[in-house]
Amino acid sequence: MLKRKESTINKEKLNRLNRFWVIIIYTTLMLWIIFSILSLIWIIFTSFKSNREIYAGVWSLPKFFHFENYIKAWNVVNLKRFFLNSVIVTFTSILGLTFLCTPAAYVLSRFNFKGRGFLNNLIIAGMGIPYQLLLIPLYKIFLNIKLVDNLFGLILVYITLSMPFTIYLLSGFIRSLPTELENAAMIDGCSEYGTFWRVIFPLAQPGIIAAAIFNFIFLWNEYMLALVFLPSNSNKTVSLGLYSIQSAMQYTADWAGLFAAVVIVMLPTMLIYFVLSERVMTGITLGAVKG
Amino acid sequence: MFRTKRIIWLLVPALLLYLSFFIYPAIQAIYVSLHDWSGFAKKMKFIGLGNFNELIHDRIYWQTLGNTLMILLVGGVIIFILAFLLTSFFTTGIKGKKFFRAVIFYPNVVAPIALATFWSFLYNPRFGLINSFLKLIHLDILAKTWTGPDIIFWSVLVALIWTYVGFYMIILLSGAEKIPQDLYEVGKIEGANRVQMFFKVTVPLIWDVLTVAVVLWIIESIKLFEFLFAFSGGTQVPQQIWTNAVYMFLLSFGKRTAIFRLGYATSIAVTLLMLVIIFTGIARLVMKRERVEY
Repeated sequence: MLKRKESTINKEKLNRLNRFWVIIIYTTLMLWIIFSILSLIWIIFTSFKSNREIYAGVWSLPKFFHFENYIKAWNVVNLKRFFLNSVIVTFTSILGLTFLCTPAAYVLSRFNFKGRGFLNNLIIAGMGIPYQLLLIPLYKIFLNIKLVDNLFGLILVYITLSMPFTIYLLSGFIRSLPTELENAAMIDGCSEYGTFWRVIFPLAQPGIIAAAIFNFIFLWNEYMLALVFLPSNSNKTVSLGLYSIQSAMQYTADWAGLFAAVVIVMLPTMLIYFVLSERVMTGITLGAVKG
Repeated sequence: MFRTKRIIWLLVPALLLYLSFFIYPAIQAIYVSLHDWSGFAKKMKFIGLGNFNELIHDRIYWQTLGNTLMILLVGGVIIFILAFLLTSFFTTGIKGKKFFRAVIFYPNVVAPIALATFWSFLYNPRFGLINSFLKLIHLDILAKTWTGPDIIFWSVLVALIWTYVGFYMIILLSGAEKIPQDLYEVGKIEGANRVQMFFKVTVPLIWDVLTVAVVLWIIESIKLFEFLFAFSGGTQVPQQIWTNAVYMFLLSFGKRTAIFRLGYATSIAVTLLMLVIIFTGIARLVMKRERVEY
């Protein structure tokens, strides 16, 4: 703590230091913001330019909006098929995660039984295991059960690998719910399962939605696992599609088409982010702060 | 109360999946790392610690480990300094805070492959954004081959820092916002300036959140793969930006020509897990201290 009786010189020095810091922070922040906003605007504008315009000047504005970039990416490169695949994979995974993890989180957070501590630790450990460790053994297992190159196989991988975080987040949420309603339901003669599905599950909606938003963003953007578990050309997710467009760039040199594809890939998560930015940010960091 | 036996069945489906497709392969990985295995159809041959012995003499392994550690340590320090700067700024109650926060966080919502595409164009030496901007303002001399072997690692590190700062800033902010305002009032009355208040009030009170954030960064940075793998612009990933995770992937599933050195690649994956354990252990030890209540 500072003593009140300080010499004026000292105070002046402090003030100068203070101002110095404020200016540094302020400039960093402003440059950062400008760059980030520009990056978005630039990507969108470039996706509407023709290739000739891009080569003529990357900083110029499009003369008119070339929607054909999008039509080409959507139809010719077959991004529409990949987009549909992504929608199927992401939504099925989220549905599966909700109905598997909410009951599991309920049991793990509300009941005392032998081995509960161990199971909780096992699930938390899952958050620290790099996926690279699982990659080869898991691929071998999926080869054996013939689920490689199969959308359902990827869904299974996504569900399993997203479990630790989802259960962790939901456990934290369920633990914060009051127990009175459960007790009341039990006294009214509700069965164990009835209590869960009719009382806890509806009450846990905010937690379930937070987990769903997080998983949507993570799974929509994921591509390492997709690259491994969907090796053939017909069965791609949309980030894999973008990756193959990017890989073909050295032959096509079609930057306009590439950035149209970038916008298509970004659009779903960015839309959710525009509408629910606060919820997305808290959802993503919820687990961290609770821990 | 409820009979616990019946309620356990709510846990079983999730647990079965988790054990068979997460825990079992994780344990099996350690077994695989002790074998010479050169293709999914081939037989494994037990070679004990042979793979790890080969790692010690593998020059590329050490180089990729160096890159992993550079991202973890150098990248980490810069990310946390910036995240702290931004946090201290946002806790002073400036206007437009929500908007600024949302803008800084946005790269964490976008697919890494999309970010990598944008950044490779930004750095493109012939007509990339940076070099053409420099030309525009007649500073051509500053133009560089940003993706040249000497600086590509640093170019990529800048992109990674830009991506991740928002994430850690939000975590630190969520801790800082819980600090009661009266503590700052008291500080103000006592004559403390912004810097002092930051170090004497904010930092101690968000220490727990900071510890979690550091652990998260350790895990994230060690397994980081997608941005690096996609940054190459589709051709071979330049060796200067290979990390352990990239090297492991190239050895197993590869890009165009898969080599399927499965046992050896898995032994690298095991070292990744060891890195996570060692560094989270160090972080927890260094950052351990009494809880501050408020």
